[in-house]
Amino acid sequence: MSLKNVDVAVIGSGPAGMAAAIKAKETGAENVVIMERAEQLGGLLHQCIHNGFGLLYFKEDLTGPEYAHRFIEKLMDSGVKPLLETMAIGISPDREIIAVSSREGYITFRPKSIVLAMGCRERTRGALNIPGTRPAGIFTAGTAQRLVNIDGFIPGKKVVILGSGDIGMIMARRLTLEGAKVEGVVEILPYVGGLIRNQVQCLHDFNIPLLLECTVTQIHGEERVEAVTIAMVDTKRKLIAGTEKQIECDTLLLSVGLIPENELSQMAGVKLDPITGGPIVNEIRQTSVPGIFAGGNVVHVHDLVDNVSWESEIAGQSAAELIHGRRKSWERGITLKPGRNIKYIVPHTISGKREVTLYMRVNEPEEDVRLKVGTIVTKALRAVKPAEMLKLELSSAQLSKLGEGTTEIVIDCEKRGGR
Amino acid sequence: MSQVNIICVGCPLGCAATLAIGDDGKLAAITGCKCKAGQKYVVKEYKNPVRVLTGTIVTQDSARPLLPVRTAAPIPKAKLLPGMKVLAKTRIKPPVMIGDVIISNLLGTRVSVVATSDLLA
Amino acid sequence: MGQIDTEVLVIGGGVLGTAVARELSRYKVDTTLVEKEADFGWGSTKANMCLVCQGADTLEFRREYRRSKLVWESMPLMEPLCQELDVPFKRVGELAVFFDNGGRAKFQKMKSRAESMGMTTHQFVDRETLRQMEPNIARDAIGALYDPNIAITDPVRLTMALAENAKRNGVKLLTRTKVVDISSGTEEFEVQTSQGAIRSRFIVNAAGLFVDKVAAMVNADEFVVFPIKGYVVILDKKVGDLVSHEIHARPEAPGENNIVTPSVYGNLFIGTPMKLARRNDQSTTRQMADTTLRNVRRLVPDISERDIISSFAGFLMFRNWELGWHECVVSASGNVPRFISVSIGYPGVSAAPATAKEVVKLLSQEGLKLEENLKFNPYSKAITHFSDLSEEEKRALIAKDERYRYAVCRCETVTEGEVVEAISRGATTLDGVKFRTRAGMGRCQGGFCGPRIISILARELGIPEEQVTKKGGRSQLLLYKSKQLLEGVTCP
Repeated sequence: MSLKNVDVAVIGSGPAGMAAAIKAKETGAENVVIMERAEQLGGLLHQCIHNGFGLLYFKEDLTGPEYAHRFIEKLMDSGVKPLLETMAIGISPDREIIAVSSREGYITFRPKSIVLAMGCRERTRGALNIPGTRPAGIFTAGTAQRLVNIDGFIPGKKVVILGSGDIGMIMARRLTLEGAKVEGVVEILPYVGGLIRNQVQCLHDFNIPLLLECTVTQIHGEERVEAVTIAMVDTKRKLIAGTEKQIECDTLLLSVGLIPENELSQMAGVKLDPITGGPIVNEIRQTSVPGIFAGGNVVHVHDLVDNVSWESEIAGQSAAELIHGRRKSWERGITLKPGRNIKYIVPHTISGKREVTLYMRVNEPEEDVRLKVGTIVTKALRAVKPAEMLKLELSSAQLSKLGEGTTEIVIDCEKRGGR
Repeated sequence: MSQVNIICVGCPLGCAATLAIGDDGKLAAITGCKCKAGQKYVVKEYKNPVRVLTGTIVTQDSARPLLPVRTAAPIPKAKLLPGMKVLAKTRIKPPVMIGDVIISNLLGTRVSVVATSDLLA
Repeated sequence: MGQIDTEVLVIGGGVLGTAVARELSRYKVDTTLVEKEADFGWGSTKANMCLVCQGADTLEFRREYRRSKLVWESMPLMEPLCQELDVPFKRVGELAVFFDNGGRAKFQKMKSRAESMGMTTHQFVDRETLRQMEPNIARDAIGALYDPNIAITDPVRLTMALAENAKRNGVKLLTRTKVVDISSGTEEFEVQTSQGAIRSRFIVNAAGLFVDKVAAMVNADEFVVFPIKGYVVILDKKVGDLVSHEIHARPEAPGENNIVTPSVYGNLFIGTPMKLARRNDQSTTRQMADTTLRNVRRLVPDISERDIISSFAGFLMFRNWELGWHECVVSASGNVPRFISVSIGYPGVSAAPATAKEVVKLLSQEGLKLEENLKFNPYSKAITHFSDLSEEEKRALIAKDERYRYAVCRCETVTEGEVVEAISRGATTLDGVKFRTRAGMGRCQGGFCGPRIISILARELGIPEEQVTKKGGRSQLLLYKSKQLLEGVTCP
């Protein structure tokens, strides 16, 4: 395959990459290449065999593989060129990509634009520094999901899961359905880490205990996991002495956080936001490096795959438009500043001239709140939770209310009902 | 009089509803829901809780060890684990196309188990 | 294994045992090495700060100590050894930092002692120079004693290379072989192991954590060992350049010797104290973590918990706690002929080169005939590290062997070709591949590469994936096949 005149190179072929590549083609980019290190397109969708995907994008309740299938078909029809079994190992600030590829060998090329769509990696036991021994039988939930749903193995039969994020709860159900006993899901916060839907359909349905304000304090077992010690924590996350309890198990699954995978981004000199862990982007998903765009979990951790695809379409479209000279490469704009109880907002800056969708998360769960976007928009919400991303669309009409020369808008999450 | 607790999954509020069941087995009252849609969901969930079952089937003569499958529609919650045992006994050979019926009428539910991915080789 | 007859049996495949075995392979001596773990260097050798050439550092030693002699004699030998075996070696130098004049005075004593022993490489650096050498050092450090000799290496890789080179030169290596009992006859020893019996004329007891237990099997000597537990934390490569030298401060109290050092691969290692503990308990505790981080921030305030990617504990076998830095055991038994025990304690890795030669001398004194092995080849090439190659080399390798086109480990950029090479050169476990290729040592800690490496191990070793272990024994990773746990279902 000739990589001489690539217009758009998309790195990653999950729900983000595929959406971006297809959109880039639809926007008029001729030579669009999508790079994927596995043997097939689709990224992690293939191992997400459960349903709940596409409820918004397709208005259907699909499983991960089915969602992938829709995009793969569209991509193959669109003329995007897949580079499978190809791992990017470097990107320079002037957009030279270095990759190793089973078919093409060692390749280097400089596309006119790049869309970063590498997704996330999982936080590890080492990063949490959980004390104890170092036996076999400790897996992050995503790795276990791959083993169970793709490779055909059940890691163990007595499982403890640390972290009540969605992946942890999904795996609690999955392992139970495959005959394992999940002794409990241990969560350090006083509330569940993922969607309510998963709490009910993964934990309640199977009587799996959810142990809130608890954490794993020690791992036991020399060769294989034999038990974990759990203990309760106070509101400051400090261990409460005397609450230790040992749970016998042969497997510990960790669902303790996703980290956007930005090694390549950093090599390219892309500026990252320490809160999201991903690139700082403007409303067209341009990063701080001209010609490099980003979308999906590599920018910030999403809950719904639908939003991943929608967001990445913006990146793909922008990459294509850049080539045709239709957009300026880095639009300075209005900075969106997280205010009360807002953890982050993506995009980080907006032009204020076009309608835009804002994605944000709160720090603490609250009920009866109001989102305030500066003085131009308010939206009442019954409840907000850190695990459920908020989406807010700003119309041109609303944005026209911004004063001339506005450089910053603060977004707050306020309590309603008088304070 | 007895009580059943159900959490509504309609929105992030996750209202904890309490259903009072009369001695005649009929639903007497619902408390705890903050909206009508939630109430409707909770009643449906009480009367006939259903779920989509997703799982895998072991393949034969294939480069891939497993084929992902789902029930084409939700089935009664009580049939989830028995359904898994049926899947466990099933084997499948390529070629299979996404959407192909692998098992029709799973456990008398009249719902099919279909492939959620191609298995071409 | 059928009955093995050998001339010298080396018990223990850590850095000392393998160094002795390689040294013996310079001669026409029938040598067998047994190691109870699935791979080499997995005992004490595995859990340390990777520092070598510490002769001048061990300044509380009495010069008349045998150990001092072995450590100093090893200093000029380590770099050439690493070159012969193609093992990383980097001279980083050491800064022993102090915060007041009292500290300076203590280090002055050390410097004087070193000079009295002929070591003149130490020099004091003042506050400004210290800051230039280490911009991230604590602001209140007023100076340091600088030793340019201290270096870093990869002790496990060194051990594996020593073993491999010994094997190429004729030594028989047996892993997963644990010595259970020894009886001494008039001419030879009868050794019972978990894999069968071995008869040997000479024994070198380099059994690390269990050196006293092995000696006790033949009533060779009665020495008491004190397992001192240390704790090591590995930080992400992205903070790897917080320091460029090994840094420590004079301990304020016993057990407070905290060290920060770069690693040969670009990570940061921080390590600490040392406390008496039970040798079969390798677990870490929250308190070790908290203490280490707190103490080390005294030296380099920017070190953060957020950058931790892994941590583990290990042991040093001290012989005599009262003496502090103790004398080592490198001697022929007083009771039993032809039985040599070797236990350095600290710094074991550093002292290995000269100790190995000393052991051979002791064996010769016990009657071993040493005839030169003219076919001895001291050289070994490392397993290809794709990520270290130049662009041309990468292209050439990929063109020649397709397996280098598949990146198996994303964090450390390790290709399938390297994993296959590691297996062909002795790795039979996930950790064995890890220590030879670094796959699994990056920030995702094997989350991505784990399933792939398990599959490659199964394929190359011709075993089912459920039999692949993390580190030998019963450390299988995948306990069941899909559907196996559902009742009334036979395995597919």
